[in-house]
Amino acid sequence: MAGSKLTGKIRASTLLEVVISMVIILVVFSTAMMIYANVTRSSLSLKQLQAQAFLEEVMRNAEIVNENSNQSLNMGDFKIEQVVSEYNDDKKLLEIDLTAYDANQLKIAELKKVILNKNE
Amino acid sequence: MLKASALYMVIIIALVIGILCSSLVLSAYYYRLQYQKSFRYDRLQTNLGSGENILLAGADSSYNVQRTFSLFGDDADSVSLQRVFWGVYDIGVVRAFDQKDTLYKVFSIAHSIDSGKWAALYLTDNDRPMAVSGKTMIRGDAFIPKSGVNQAYLNNQAYSGDKRLIIGTIHNSQRDLPQLDTARLGLFRNLMSQEHGDGNLHGDSITNSFLMPPLIINLGKEPTLLAHISIAGNIIIFSDTSITIDSTAMLNHMMIFARSISVKSGFHGNCQLFARDTIGIGQNCRFDYPSCLGILRFKSTAIMKSQERISLGTACSFSGIIFTYEFDKNPVLPLIDLGNKVQVTGQVYSQGMVAFKDNAVVAGSLFTTGFLYRTSFTLFQNDLMNTTLDESALSPYYLTSGMLPVAGPKKKILQWLEAN
Repeated sequence: MAGSKLTGKIRASTLLEVVISMVIILVVFSTAMMIYANVTRSSLSLKQLQAQAFLEEVMRNAEIVNENSNQSLNMGDFKIEQVVSEYNDDKKLLEIDLTAYDANQLKIAELKKVILNKNE
Repeated sequence: MLKASALYMVIIIALVIGILCSSLVLSAYYYRLQYQKSFRYDRLQTNLGSGENILLAGADSSYNVQRTFSLFGDDADSVSLQRVFWGVYDIGVVRAFDQKDTLYKVFSIAHSIDSGKWAALYLTDNDRPMAVSGKTMIRGDAFIPKSGVNQAYLNNQAYSGDKRLIIGTIHNSQRDLPQLDTARLGLFRNLMSQEHGDGNLHGDSITNSFLMPPLIINLGKEPTLLAHISIAGNIIIFSDTSITIDSTAMLNHMMIFARSISVKSGFHGNCQLFARDTIGIGQNCRFDYPSCLGILRFKSTAIMKSQERISLGTACSFSGIIFTYEFDKNPVLPLIDLGNKVQVTGQVYSQGMVAFKDNAVVAGSLFTTGFLYRTSFTLFQNDLMNTTLDESALSPYYLTSGMLPVAGPKKKILQWLEAN
């Protein structure tokens, strides 16, 4: 401090203490970073949640309008593939398979349901 | 003298960082756990929906025995389906499970209406014209005898309703009523011909889930009064003689089979009552949808056959199905007697006659071989007096039983009964 004088004495750490401290702090920080990275990577991404919500919406619509054709839809950043087929060769039932892909064509979410074929 | 103590400070900082990291890991773990639970729940709900649709699309005879299978051949899409005969309707039981999680839904199944077969009135052709008097109103399509419909002066009252007499399309009826579904009648016959163990009504409240086997109570040859008791759910009561239901009894979704059933005035409930001889309903009773009153006589036990009869007292309100069925033709025709100001919302199907008193209303459909109107001195046949038959008063969401001839092929969920 300008103009002030240090009157007391401060005992310095030994070189060994400083080295051990540095090593410990390094280990602790690197472990913490590793844990943080792992938690961030393995936690559910917003993307997955969004994709699941989109699939449920598409499924609801398919049930209401009784959509029975294969189609590909773009919703948000996702491409949703809809595959419709007869369920167990029963004409009264349709199996709807919905799959959501991201921009890199990676499968993000999937939803399957058996619905009534209103045209039969 | 101050100490530098670099090691102590580092240990404390490390501890703080450790606590932060562990809380981060814990919160991430619980978030993930919760999400997985919610995801499993959503997937089970979707699978339940699939199971419901499979049951609705299946034939009446399918899934009579509980079947467990994988919906799509994957790991986590197992469902268990069962269809249970429940009087004029069916009960569907769907369970979807994944690991330790199980979701279930129980619902009653009914048929949509076939508009081509539906009619506000179906009166068989017995070579006699139909007559209307007083403030009679018939709204909806009608199947009537070829001899047509006329106005009549009855009991000092001329016809004062709509000039069209029938507000709807008129068709010619056949000599016989459209038949009831023999498959369902067969199920009734099987159930009624089985030997049932004895049982007593213990306690003042009996309930049984539709997830369990039916609770069958056989009251044998002892006339029984059901009073101050609550009976709900998957329960069938059999009696070889008469059962009287007091207004203090609370019946919900259960079925009763007896020789004769009498319901005291003021009763309110939701049930299916089937008798071989008579069903008598007192005044001011209320039966909620979907209820059923049915006479089922598959064989005659007496040499002198008594008349099958269903009577509803003054100001009763009934929502559901009233029908009579007899396998052997009885010389004395079955009778459905609707008292003053009785309101029936649903369907009446009589293999015999239907007797109306003033201001009776059928909001729905009436199939019969004839009408009776009784004054103090005279009995008129095929005359409708101050009666309303109005199909437009019936809810467009009304569902019928597959047993009745107007049932369409599509099945729908009638009522949710249980779920978790």
